[in-house]
Amino acid sequence: MNQELNQETVKKIMEAKGEVRGVTLKTDMEFILKEKGEEGLKKLEDELEKLGQLIKFHEIKTMDFYPIGLRAVSLLAIKKVFGFDDEKIKEIGLFATKTTLIIKLFVRYFLSVQRVFMKEAPRLWAKHYTVGELNTVELNEEKKYGIIRLKNINVHPIVCCYLEGYFCGILHLIIKSSRINSQESKCTFRGDEYHEYLLKWE
Amino acid sequence: MVIEKEEEKISTLLEDLTSLESYARDLFSFLPLPVCLASSIGIILEVNPAFENITGYNIEEIIGKPIEDILVKKEFEELAKETLEKGFVRAKELIIFTKEKKEIPTSVSTILRKSEEGEVIGYFVGLFDLSDIKKTEKDLKSAQIALLNMLEDVEEARGRAEEEKNKTVAIINNFTDGLLVFDPENKLSLVNPQAEKIFNIKQRDMINRSIQELKTFPTVEPLALILFKEIKDIFRKEVQIKENLVIEVSSVPILRGEEKLGNLIILHDITREKLVEKMKTEFVSISAHQLRTPLSAIKWTIRMLLDGDLGAITLEQRDFLEKTYRSNEKMINLINSLLDVTRIEEGRYLYKPVLTEIEPICQFVIKSYEDEIKRKNITVDFKKPEKRIPKIVMDVEKIKLAIQNLLDNAIRYTPPGGKVTIVLKRGKKEVEFSIKDSGVGVPKDQQARIFTRFFRGANVMRMDTEGSGLGLYIVKNIIEAHGGKTRFESEEGKGTTFYFTLPIKEEFTEFLKEF
Repeated sequence: MNQELNQETVKKIMEAKGEVRGVTLKTDMEFILKEKGEEGLKKLEDELEKLGQLIKFHEIKTMDFYPIGLRAVSLLAIKKVFGFDDEKIKEIGLFATKTTLIIKLFVRYFLSVQRVFMKEAPRLWAKHYTVGELNTVELNEEKKYGIIRLKNINVHPIVCCYLEGYFCGILHLIIKSSRINSQESKCTFRGDEYHEYLLKWE
Repeated sequence: MVIEKEEEKISTLLEDLTSLESYARDLFSFLPLPVCLASSIGIILEVNPAFENITGYNIEEIIGKPIEDILVKKEFEELAKETLEKGFVRAKELIIFTKEKKEIPTSVSTILRKSEEGEVIGYFVGLFDLSDIKKTEKDLKSAQIALLNMLEDVEEARGRAEEEKNKTVAIINNFTDGLLVFDPENKLSLVNPQAEKIFNIKQRDMINRSIQELKTFPTVEPLALILFKEIKDIFRKEVQIKENLVIEVSSVPILRGEEKLGNLIILHDITREKLVEKMKTEFVSISAHQLRTPLSAIKWTIRMLLDGDLGAITLEQRDFLEKTYRSNEKMINLINSLLDVTRIEEGRYLYKPVLTEIEPICQFVIKSYEDEIKRKNITVDFKKPEKRIPKIVMDVEKIKLAIQNLLDNAIRYTPPGGKVTIVLKRGKKEVEFSIKDSGVGVPKDQQARIFTRFFRGANVMRMDTEGSGLGLYIVKNIIEAHGGKTRFESEEGKGTTFYFTLPIKEEFTEFLKEF
């Protein structure tokens, strides 16, 4: 997990199959601009360049598709340059739900918890990623929890962490609660067959 | 080839989508009006920067927050209900709560957002900050209240002023003296009923007229003559308006601080007093004349007896006759003085004005008292100025009488061995005569009455029973009839100095014109 980030490791990550929408990288940029300003963004771009990935965040097209490996490399570079911990990476995921254009377009379907979990979650995933499938395994509104499963995607554990925040953010948009939490309960990097997230609220 | 074309189309669509996103973002960010998008269950899904500003929350804090966190729950529920029912709400006044729990009055508008299938997916909420308007409203309200209070005060003050005015008018109308008020332009602005009666002219005929215009009324003319063109201060000046109507006129300026608002003329009817005075004077005059004739007969009879014309008399008889003669003389002098007073009061005292020098008159009077001066061993010093004193228009006999009365008093009340100094001085416009004695002086508490009729100082009455108390009254009237002034300085036990001035020719000529 804590392997050294260098061109070699990045090259390996970049070999992952599939693509991701530019909007996910754009939300990384907005978070860095908010926290560290343009100077911070420049540092990040420099680091990515050192890692062999020449990315100009301002030029990324929100709706275009980019290699899925970049999703992980961008977060890893952020973590390295700014010394962020996992909680901060989770915060980037949460922040993304509040600023991403896709969510803004998608909120029209956020009509109920049931609908989001059962119908919209797989569609929402497909709007962002070309690989992997997201499905709801269980939803208990009375007991206030849900379990979602993500299959056929293995990019990097940092993405798992990011998604914890991201799912949490989605719940904030559909449930009126000040205490919402999401936790990855199963993970392919821990030997499981798929990723599974337990979402809870009060 | 087909794939390449499809890719090209996708690329163009992506570019357009990015541009559209940028456009929508810029438009939303630019809006100065705070706007948010809330889900159907009231969760804030999107806000623009203006919304962040007004609520104090940043985007991460506010998105995902229930909208009732910034609105009163009950008010939000009503707002949501109305939006759902009507599809929109226009300009509803609500209070919003900022992150710092500050209350901001706003005007809230909403519009319902539905999916293509007609499902409610939320609503846009737009806010308009009413803080400034409310503040202005509050200020206006305060100003209105203040203005109303002021108006109330003004009305109250006006009522009080009206009441005061009514009181003043009642006082003026019921005042027993006639009152005239002239404005700063010397136009008559107020006439009370008593003044109307005095002049026998209606108020409406006199009001707003100048003194010159008023002069055309025969009854006002005598008053106008003493008021002149510009009203001057007058104190108790007598004016005969018509036969059997004499008024005493006083004029006082009406001042408010430094500002002169006009003049008040007070007209006091003294007809009756004048009549009584005249009758009294006539009585004294007739009595004095009637007394003088037998007293003259007595004088000459005693004189004949003393001169031996009716035969020899004994020494004892002579002594008695001389005493009787002296008493008779005193009586004659007193009667002469009383006659002088009656003439003064009848205004027929000054009748022989001539241009002459005063110095020889002084010399003559001093010489006439030579024997008495020697008898009392009094030094009389007469100081004349080095420069010649000009001639003065005067009634010689009267001036002689005035000087005589003053010298008589000085000698009478100066103890033997004392000193009397007479000084003549030339001033710019007048000649000043003064006579200083080292006599008994006038008690301070009695000095104010010194020139009144029959006044005699208490100390003098104790030491000397002679004297009528008319001498100084006559002096004052003689001098004033010449246009001069009298005054004195005195200290009891040390002596008295009397002064009188007489105007030099030009002034006197002017003065005479008034008669």
